[in-house]
Formats: sequence, structure tokens, C-alpha cells
Amino acid sequence: MQRILPILIFLVAIICKGQNRPLLYNVDDLPQSLLQNPGARIDYIRHVGIPFFSQIHLSAGSTGVTAYDIFADDGSGVNQRVRDVMRDISAGDYFSVNEQMEILSLGWKMGDRGYFSTGIYQELDVFAYFPKDPAVLAFEGNADYIGQDFDFSDANFTGEVLTVYHAGFNYKVDPKLSVGGRLKLYSGIFNAESTDNEGVFRTIETPGGPNFYRHEVSGLNVTVNTSGYASLKNEEGMTVDKAVAELMSRSLFGQNGGIGVDLGFNYRVTNQFSVNASVQDLGLMFHQKDVENYNYFGSFQTNGLEPLFPELDDNEATIPYWDIFEDRVDLNLKDETTNNAYTTWRPLKYNASFEFGTGKSILPCDYLISKKPRFMNLFGMLISGVNRPKGSTYGVTAYWDRKVNDHLRFRLAYAVDEFSITKLGFMMSSRFKNFNIYLAANDIIGYTNLAKANSASLQLGMQFIFKNL
Amino acid sequence: MSHSRSIKLVLPAIIFGLLLTSCFKDVDFGQSQDISLEPDLEVDLLFYQLNETDFLDSGTNAFTPVIRDTVRLEFLDDDYIQDGLTYAALRFKHENKFPYEIKSNIKFLRENGRREFNVAYIIPPGSKSSSAVVDTTHILEGNNIVNLQRSIQMVVELEIVGANQSLEGELEFMSKGLFRFEF
Repeated sequence: MQRILPILIFLVAIICKGQNRPLLYNVDDLPQSLLQNPGARIDYIRHVGIPFFSQIHLSAGSTGVTAYDIFADDGSGVNQRVRDVMRDISAGDYFSVNEQMEILSLGWKMGDRGYFSTGIYQELDVFAYFPKDPAVLAFEGNADYIGQDFDFSDANFTGEVLTVYHAGFNYKVDPKLSVGGRLKLYSGIFNAESTDNEGVFRTIETPGGPNFYRHEVSGLNVTVNTSGYASLKNEEGMTVDKAVAELMSRSLFGQNGGIGVDLGFNYRVTNQFSVNASVQDLGLMFHQKDVENYNYFGSFQTNGLEPLFPELDDNEATIPYWDIFEDRVDLNLKDETTNNAYTTWRPLKYNASFEFGTGKSILPCDYLISKKPRFMNLFGMLISGVNRPKGSTYGVTAYWDRKVNDHLRFRLAYAVDEFSITKLGFMMSSRFKNFNIYLAANDIIGYTNLAKANSASLQLGMQFIFKNL
Repeated sequence: MSHSRSIKLVLPAIIFGLLLTSCFKDVDFGQSQDISLEPDLEVDLLFYQLNETDFLDSGTNAFTPVIRDTVRLEFLDDDYIQDGLTYAALRFKHENKFPYEIKSNIKFLRENGRREFNVAYIIPPGSKSSSAVVDTTHILEGNNIVNLQRSIQMVVELEIVGANQSLEGELEFMSKGLFRFEF
């Protein structure tokens, strides 16, 4: 196994790419690992998080561009750099921001085999593909793109702010297998999404036609759904500060609800080797209140305006060609604002990993102690993904997890994902009596100069964890 | 100092150090002020296809050597034209199959009818089998761009020279604008 493992790690690393947040996964002495895999193995009997501080998670990333690519202080023109970036970046590149803050977190052992955990956390998730064609049209115009389509499907984004109430149960089926599930109730504070858009705009040359070009909007079908936005928009004197305050006031009880589950397991194949997997946020949000949908649809084409040279007296008005043109546009390209309820899937996350332990801990020579020895070094490989509108984003992480002693543990990780192929991560968890504090930072190289980093993420928290040592 | 104790101190110190000293280097976010949208838009303007009937009075069938029409181009009054237009190239193309010379005068007028600028030329006579073509581009840039920004009406005027009631032929007109903006 020790010979096969590096080969396996290498193979998985080169065939996978993606986005991940692996530093707290499989950390059996942190309750946060239960949020990623409710079936994870754990080694504590009770935990209580410091309200609002048991987990603060921030991550942001961009697959196609860094701040340096645009704002480099190298004397060249910023507009040329923007054009270069727009040429290089594709409609599959994306920007993402994710923030989570645990408001409440606690759990305790139930019976010999069970562990109940519950809590509340607030989450912000924004995911937007680069709207390449609309951006090129706005930035460069159509003159250099005669005959080419500008595709409105490139406009594709989701954004939500919600509070999650959750309760989970972890059950040790036998010494090899542990399983778990977590029920989540979502309380939606704000949502905006525009996916599955259709339609193109094109300008084509028309040799033999009535004019130089024909401008076409074909099969336009663009929808932006929002919930929690209309009331902000319609309130008089609303400022950004007031809007943020209003959103904060909805933090605990948002207007729209949803339900979801997390499921997971951990199976110890041998004493040293274990596999595990989980899915998170298999759930739906039902947007029914404070909903506003903006719909743009239709098809239209024009070669310009055609004067008819009517015979007019001096006092007669000319034909209102422009008004007629606008009426035709309005008739064929419509925009509607509706208040239809809609449903969104939460971004499903999935993880699968295997872990290999070496270096057994030395237990006290006491026949009264029945605990199994722990492995001081854990080598693991984690594949994780998130469902997004145009398909899943993947990442793979290889890690070395070192338990220095009962009070200190750290993890070094190397990851490959869609942001970077040189992502180094570090996690440290330390315990002073029952007080635990942890810090995890991914893409450490990027922290040396965030301007050149495609992504950065940080998790930190503090809590009380009680172990039965 | 034991091995574990040194790890306990050194590693967190390195990581905290990295996080605390992390910053944006080699960039100047002040350049965001300089970012401008500079689209070049190709837009069709007017077109027409005329024949002899357009030069005859529909009631009396009398020959009318001069015909004209006015089209309001309301988009010229929009903010993006008024604030962002830096350059315009207006292209006009006539194809004449009338065996007569035709004087074309394309005028751009203000709301009150005052002329801002015009493009006038003579289209040579053509024939049924061969069109006479005039293809011209009128550039507006620099200080002249205000002439277009002040305009709201486009008048197309044609005078057919030397023809009479029995004229036969066709006249085609195409026009477009290349509008360059800076926002």
C-alpha cells in the first residue's frame, strides 16, 4: 500500500482539477469536519462553539484573471490589459466568493455510538461566470465581430445570502463503519440568479440585401430571478448601508425557506486505510415571498430605417419612422417584470477521500486503557466538487496530517483545482485544556502577494471541545 | 526546546506572519479611474430602393424631379451619444440605374431645422445593365463631432437632372455609421 499510494495520488492529481476546501475535512478532532462529512470519525464527546467565532470561513477566487493582470503597475495601459484579459478569458471562467459564519454550534455524545450536533450558520455564496460575449460587446462593440454571435447565455450567475439551521447525527455502526446525516433548514435572506439564458445578437453583412448589414437579436430568453430584493429596491431613500442593515435584520428569520440534507460515511478498510465520502446541501430553496423576476425575450431583426418619400404638403408631418421602429422593437423584444415563485437547488458539494495512517501513537502502559492507538501521520487524498450552473467544479487535494501530540495537530496540503495548480494549504489546530483554536489557510503562496493570486481562503475558529482521553 | 514545542511555535508564527503581512503588491488600483469602455459600433442607418414611380406624382402622374424625406434619428439624442461619442464615420452608397445624373444631398438637422452638416454629391448616370456607384464616407471627429451630437433629423434629398415623365430606372441607397465611443 505504501508503494501504491504515491502513484495513486499522482494519477488522481493529474486527471482532476477544480475547486475545494479541504483543510478541515477528515480532521477528527474538529466539529467542523462534521459539517463537511456528517459520517466522519470523531474523537470527542462534546463541543460548544464560541458564538459567532466557532467558524469564520472566507474564500474568493477567479479562474481566469488576477488583480495583477488588470492593475499591474508596469507602465502599460490598463485598457490594453483589460482587452488582453478579455481575449484570454473564456465564458467558462468564473468568479466566486463564499463566506460562512457559525452563529451557534454544539454537540454531544448520545449513547455509546451516536453523536448529535446542531447549530446555526450564515452563508453568502456568489458564483458568476465571466459574461464574455456581453462584455466584449460592451467593451469593444460589434465592428470587429461582424458575422459573429454574441451569446446571451454567457450571462450566468447565482448569488445568495441565507441562514442555515441544522441538526445532524453521527452513528458508529461498528468499529469499521460510521455513517451520518444532517438535516438543514434554510432561511433565505437574499437571492438573485440568472441561469439557462438563451439568445444571440449578431450583425451580418448582407451582400445583395437592402443595406450593408442586418442586425439580429435571435431567440432572446433572459431571466433574472430575485427574492429579497424587491422590498429593498422599492423602499424610498434606500442606501447601500440601509440595505445591508435591512439584510442583517433578516439574518435569523429570512422570508423564504428551504430544506436539505448532508449525508456521509467513513469506512475503515484496514487499521491503517480508510475511505469516506459525503454530499452536502442536497437541498432546495423555495422562493415565494418578496420575489421579482425580470424577463427579456423575443426576436428582432432590422436593416435600418427605410424612408418612403411620401408626397407631403409643407404643413404635413413626416412619417414617424423612428416611432414605428421603436414600436416594432417593443412588439418583438419584450421585457416583463413578474412576481412568480421559483425554486433553486443549493450548490451541491461532494467529497470523497481515502486516508492512510502511519506511526502509531505510544499509549500509556496501563491495562485499564482500552483505547486503540492512533496514527500520528495521516496521508490522504480528497476529491471534492461543487455543482454549478454550467457543470461541476472539481479539485483534488493531497495532504499530510500530523498529530504532534494531543494538543497540537497540523495539516499540510497540496491541491490542484481550477484556480491554481500550485495550491499549498496549512491547517493548525491547538487545544489548551478544552479550549480549541484552529486556523486554516489555503493557497499560502498567494498570500505573499494577493494581487497575483487566483484564489485565497481562510478558516478560523475557536470552541470548547471535550474529549474522553 | 523539544521538537514538538519548536513546531508549535515556528509553524504558527510562519503562517500568522504570512497572513498578517499578506498584501497586494506591484499593482495600482488607482488605474480603475482610467478604465474606459471604447466600443466601436457598426450600425445600419437608412436604405431605400426607388424606381421611376417615386419621381411621378401619384395623383397627376406629373414628373417630380426633386423628392425628399426626413427621418428622425432619436438615438442621436441619447446619453451615450451625447456623452461618449468621439468619432463617427458615416458611409453612404448609391447605385444608379437611371440614365440620368442625380444630385444627392444628405442633410443632418437640429430639432429646429437648422442644418448642422450635409453630404452632397452627384451620382453619375447608369444604365439597366450597369449601375453607376458612388460610395463615400463622411468622417466626424474632434470638434466636428458636436455636429452629429446636435443633429436629430436626417434628410435625404434627390434631384434627378434632365429626366422627364418617361424616365425608367432604379436607384438604391445604403448607409451605415461606425460610431466610436469612450465611456
